[in-house]
Amino acid sequence: MILIGKFILAALVGALIGLGLTSAALQNDFGFGAVTAGPWTAWPRNGGRGVDPYARAMLAKSGEIPLGSSEGLSFIARADSGGRRLEPGCDYIVSGPTPQARYWTLTVMTPQGKLLANPSGRSGFTSSEILRAADGSFAIALSRRARPGNWIPLAENDPFILDLRLYESEFSTSMLAFDAANLPTIAREVCR
Amino acid sequence: MNRLDRFLAGLLWLLGVALVAVAVHLIAVFDLPRRLGNDPMSRLSVLAKPGEMSQLPLARPGAEWAPFSDPAVAQGVCLYDLTRAPVRVSGEVDADRMLTLSFRTPSGEIFYSMTDRAAQHGKIDVLLLTSEQLEALEADSEDDDEPAQELRLIAPAAKGFVLVNALAAFPSEAEESRQRVKAITCAPEAPLD
Repeated sequence: MILIGKFILAALVGALIGLGLTSAALQNDFGFGAVTAGPWTAWPRNGGRGVDPYARAMLAKSGEIPLGSSEGLSFIARADSGGRRLEPGCDYIVSGPTPQARYWTLTVMTPQGKLLANPSGRSGFTSSEILRAADGSFAIALSRRARPGNWIPLAENDPFILDLRLYESEFSTSMLAFDAANLPTIAREVCR
Repeated sequence: MNRLDRFLAGLLWLLGVALVAVAVHLIAVFDLPRRLGNDPMSRLSVLAKPGEMSQLPLARPGAEWAPFSDPAVAQGVCLYDLTRAPVRVSGEVDADRMLTLSFRTPSGEIFYSMTDRAAQHGKIDVLLLTSEQLEALEADSEDDDEPAQELRLIAPAAKGFVLVNALAAFPSEAEESRQRVKAITCAPEAPLD
């Protein structure tokens, strides 16, 4: 009787650990295909055949529709270039050289990938509409307060992430490493 | 029982727990996509008619059909079913405006993707078929000297969907980008004999 009890206990504990592992694996952007460059993370393999089971489970959980490898590549940032989590109470400057792509867009979203409503109706920029410096570089300000130039308003209290999509990028899917120098930096300014 | 025996017995139990944990973990990961039941095909079938190009609503706060959608992109979808006949996806594209297509299985996995740059003479022409249909088609046209003008694409399953993305480089181009999605048609071919 004690032996059966031990078996059941072992099975239960095992099942709990297994489910815990699964939940942890799907929560922390784990996946064999994840590639990071500075604050940005992308899943290039999701754009073609041969998506790994973890990525497939993660896509099923989030409901995301990834871009095809010929279409482009999407990069997500949940932290700034200093590694600190993005906070709606802080101002940020996203700047850098022009990413190697035919077009790119930068969008502010909730961590679940929803767009944030704001009075100006602007949640991002496309590469065509931003104002640039003479050398072609750009800077986009993220702030709760209005800023001159390229400005994406942040919501008062809602946490946010950044989604940078490079359409028809020269980053090919076979690349397993990206040079962070080719992607914009996210610099934190003042926090209120 | 001496200490070694106890130690070995404990180790065995731990091993058992670890095995169960790994098994449960693997089953959960593989089974999750099916269990969640919100695969893109079933979500899209609410928004689109099968066998034709349907416009999807623009991604706006509180009204996205999928998370991580780009608000600058107009989307259209064609839910195809190759059981009876191949499906042709074709249309004129504007050389300067970005338009992309992705061919997907019901779970949203991509088996082919392309952009307007792959268009020939300003036209996209893709014939989507099963491998049996391709064989029948090639047997039919063996005598023809002219090579096929269209891109023949074998779908891994009879059902799936084609997603069309048209980028509006400026917010004022939103309507125009919807028109470019509309310019791509998707229709079943006449059934092969």
